[in-house]
Amino acid sequence: MKKNLCVCLAIVLGVLCALPMAVQAQEKVIRIGAMYPMTGRAGLYGIDSVAAAEMAVDEINGKGGANGYKIDITFTDSKAKPAYAVRVATRYITEDQVHFLFGIVSSGVGLAVTEISKQQKKIFIGTDHASTQLTSDKLQPYYFRVANNTFQSMAAGALYLQELQKSKPWKTIAYIGPDYAYGHDQWNELRFSLDRLGVKYQVVGEYWPKLFEPDYNSYVTSLVKDNPDILVTGFWGGDTVAFIKQAQVYGLFKKSLYFQPDAGGNYELMSAMGAELPAGLVLGARHYNNWPDTELNRKFVADFHKRTGRYPTYAAEGAYAGVYAIAEAVKIVGNPDDTEALVKALEGLKIKLPEDPDGFTSYIDPATHQIMQVQAIGVTMPNTDFPPAKMMLGDWKIYKAEDIAPPPGYPNK
Amino acid sequence: MDASFLLTQFISGLTMATLLFLVASGLTLIFGVGNVFNFAHGSFYMLGAYFGYQFVSVWSTNFWIALLLSGVCVGLFGMLAEFAFLRRIYGRANEGGFQILLTYAFILIIDDLVKLTWGAEYKSLPRPAGFGGAIQLGDIFIPTYNLLIIAIGMIVVVAAWWVLSHTRPGQVARAAAVDREIVSVLGVNVPMTMTLVFGIATALGGMAGALAAPLRTVTPGAGIEVIIDSLIVVVLGGMGNFWGAWFGALLIGEVNAFAVAVVPQWATLFSFLVMVVVLIFKPEGLFAARKVRKV
Repeated sequence: MKKNLCVCLAIVLGVLCALPMAVQAQEKVIRIGAMYPMTGRAGLYGIDSVAAAEMAVDEINGKGGANGYKIDITFTDSKAKPAYAVRVATRYITEDQVHFLFGIVSSGVGLAVTEISKQQKKIFIGTDHASTQLTSDKLQPYYFRVANNTFQSMAAGALYLQELQKSKPWKTIAYIGPDYAYGHDQWNELRFSLDRLGVKYQVVGEYWPKLFEPDYNSYVTSLVKDNPDILVTGFWGGDTVAFIKQAQVYGLFKKSLYFQPDAGGNYELMSAMGAELPAGLVLGARHYNNWPDTELNRKFVADFHKRTGRYPTYAAEGAYAGVYAIAEAVKIVGNPDDTEALVKALEGLKIKLPEDPDGFTSYIDPATHQIMQVQAIGVTMPNTDFPPAKMMLGDWKIYKAEDIAPPPGYPNK
Repeated sequence: MDASFLLTQFISGLTMATLLFLVASGLTLIFGVGNVFNFAHGSFYMLGAYFGYQFVSVWSTNFWIALLLSGVCVGLFGMLAEFAFLRRIYGRANEGGFQILLTYAFILIIDDLVKLTWGAEYKSLPRPAGFGGAIQLGDIFIPTYNLLIIAIGMIVVVAAWWVLSHTRPGQVARAAAVDREIVSVLGVNVPMTMTLVFGIATALGGMAGALAAPLRTVTPGAGIEVIIDSLIVVVLGGMGNFWGAWFGALLIGEVNAFAVAVVPQWATLFSFLVMVVVLIFKPEGLFAARKVRKV
């Protein structure tokens, strides 16, 4: 009995001692509620995002935090399901009292979470989902995106194709992409941008396989018959790998220029295909491990590799950028609690990121809450600096942030 | 649309059909003999692809040996799953519900096991030596690896038919499908037969995975993507019918190939349309024997 009493007393004392510490700790903490898919095909993006966000948190906290505030980030599997992610986001806000919602790979999930962010007046930092809607017609005051949207990628793609027409006249174009918003958006945005530039072209084929279609043989043989000068694809991840593997033996890439400006240049393709990846494919992505060749990018890629034993996919840099954007905004405002002031601080925030070439600093456009960045498009060529990849991109074409932004009022005007 | 394009499209459809059949064959076998709907069959397919990757790309094993080993390893894994878990729910009331719950759990567990073992990055393995190119006939390209897959599919369908109808183990398996108790009374070790059948079926799935891997992406989640199409094929042909599965796969593969060529905007709709039509007019499946009603 006596012993029990002692234990009880010790617990009570412990709690009493810990309480002020906890309260004090809570006062100087930025709480971020992050959501990423951890399983299935998109699981790789989730895992890479978590690693990179943790890396940014460690770096910032290691230097004493933002304005004395340490970052406390929590990760939950979004399961890539909108309804589930909405429950997680609500729990983050009501129970964990987070200051920021964070992450999300799928645009469908992002569109659902931005509604919660709007209702609850809680800032949501999008780090990977690319649907232009979130920063155009579905924009709400508390949403910010720190990675490219598909419009920017496709606008850069249109500039590339316009330039190409001068050196290697092309006329016909065909498209294949997954049959959901992401696939359709890219094709609409590319044609919008080509038309805006006054580029003349003829569409000879449009194909809409389902997302995660394992078998593209019938599509490939039909594309071979269409014989487009430019073959644009809107796949992501494993679908790109499967399509390229199946299309390669039909000689499709010898006849048509393979062009995938949004997600084709993601490192996962190079790491999965190794020496099997053909040379001469024109690809783009939101971040590259070998461009720009700046100290910041080299350090980011090397640190990520040291931490995980592998090189990052582009999702990683988005998450890394998101944590830094939050830290910078808190530094400006002085605390993580004044949401309205943080919104003002994020609008127009300038932030130097690994994907910024020398002489350029990423900034958040106050009107659309979309980060503005330089976009590069490259061509596959042998390069063994980032194993297991045997091919990387090179021969870069660079496009200025201002030249690839959607026009004001897009898509309604 | 000229003849050479029709032929190309036909062969594309045949390749898709054969891979569909190879996955569906194991699914239909387990259903026909064991009366088990193995929702996790796609995950055994995925596991086969990963074993193929491990043997070929990591351990540099010869592709053909790797193909067999992948089948054997997945088969052993399948037997273990049957012996340790599935066997315990046979004969329970509402067995179907338990089957779906249990095999769905297998999907989640196998997905995570794969992620823990090989990581979440996409893997790929090259086509085997000698099958990396294509035969060119005028305007037509026919990839040699696709021809190989078609040939292997034919061999499997004939071999499975022969084993099931002309050998004693095959006859025992079919008898067990009709009435486990009577077969058991006749001195056959029915639980052992079931474990073996499950092993063979999952081995078929595993081999299909390893065979498809050079054309597809080896990734967590790949299993769930093939199971729906396989299920369509099995239902079309008649649950448990081998030839039915082959014909169902052929139908889906060719319908898809020509839909892509003619109405690309609506291509994915047609395989489901075929299923709807079959389910309305012949709900037991195209090849299913008429059910004898027990009195």
